[in-house]
Amino acid sequence: MARYDYVEKAVTVSRREFLGIMGVAGAVLWTGAYAATDLVQDRSKYIKMRAQGIYKDDVKAKVRQSHNNPGLQQMYSKFAGKPLSHLSEELFHTRYIDRTKLG
Amino acid sequence: MGHHDAQGPRVLKHPHRSRLFHWGLILGFMPAAITGFILWLKTGSEDFVNISMKIHIVGAVILTISALLYTFFSLDRIIAFIRLIFNWDDRDVGWMLVGGGYPQKMLLGKEITVPPMDKMNSGQKIFGICLLLGGILLIVTGWLLYAFIPVAPKVFIYWADKIHLVFGIFLGLFMFVHIFLGIYNWGEFKAMFGDGTQPLSEAQHHNPVWVEKKIEPVKNETADKTNVVSHGS
Repeated sequence: MARYDYVEKAVTVSRREFLGIMGVAGAVLWTGAYAATDLVQDRSKYIKMRAQGIYKDDVKAKVRQSHNNPGLQQMYSKFAGKPLSHLSEELFHTRYIDRTKLG
Repeated sequence: MGHHDAQGPRVLKHPHRSRLFHWGLILGFMPAAITGFILWLKTGSEDFVNISMKIHIVGAVILTISALLYTFFSLDRIIAFIRLIFNWDDRDVGWMLVGGGYPQKMLLGKEITVPPMDKMNSGQKIFGICLLLGGILLIVTGWLLYAFIPVAPKVFIYWADKIHLVFGIFLGLFMFVHIFLGIYNWGEFKAMFGDGTQPLSEAQHHNPVWVEKKIEPVKNETADKTNVVSHGS
């Protein structure tokens, strides 16, 4: 047990100070929460608009399936042979990397 | 009842909860700061950086819990701390102009008169302001980077990352200065890592304004109780 003869006087907080502290804390939290939710809302808005744009393009498009795309068909006939050919696999297939490591 | 040893009466400078919070900072902030530098500079192998990130996160958890507990259970100490660090007057200007007399003492070996200080000197006040504001920013941006990268907008995360880096470097370097000065001022070191008390004469030398205005003798009742407990334990 510590042995001492003097101690710091208790801190007193007036009602005015308490309201001031709570006001500032509340304002900071409110502003932060507003800014964060506003950004997320904006982001969701742009994602929705982008999705709507893509659907609109689909509605207008004559060819709606990728395998019927003349450009793609021409690419296979003149360059990559056929889907799953050696060259297509080398060029188009995704390789996966272990990203579970944090550092 | 007063307690007198060879150094005369003593004053309680750092109560239990403050010393406990300081240990929280040592066990939380210190490993987080050191591993933070490793993560920033990517020094060592991939495994080393990986384990550093894990230590960084554990340190962050300890730091955050310590800060929250101290805020909830020692709000009076936080209010006293904020009042003190943002309270500046002519004495602080005078203290800053002579660097608290430390350069003269360390480099030239002579003592000069410095303006009287409260519980913290002006240099400690600057450190306190940086620690309070920078600490809050580091904790908030750190958790944003930990948990909100997939959901938060890119620009938000970009600035969180930049703030975390800049304040991390700044406070990380500040920590080493704090450790050096803490050990240099051995009486303060003993108070913080010991029972929190300091000889009154020492406090009077470093913190005359605090001793004059902000401390009071322990009330007899409490002193008797302390005496009983200390004999009983």
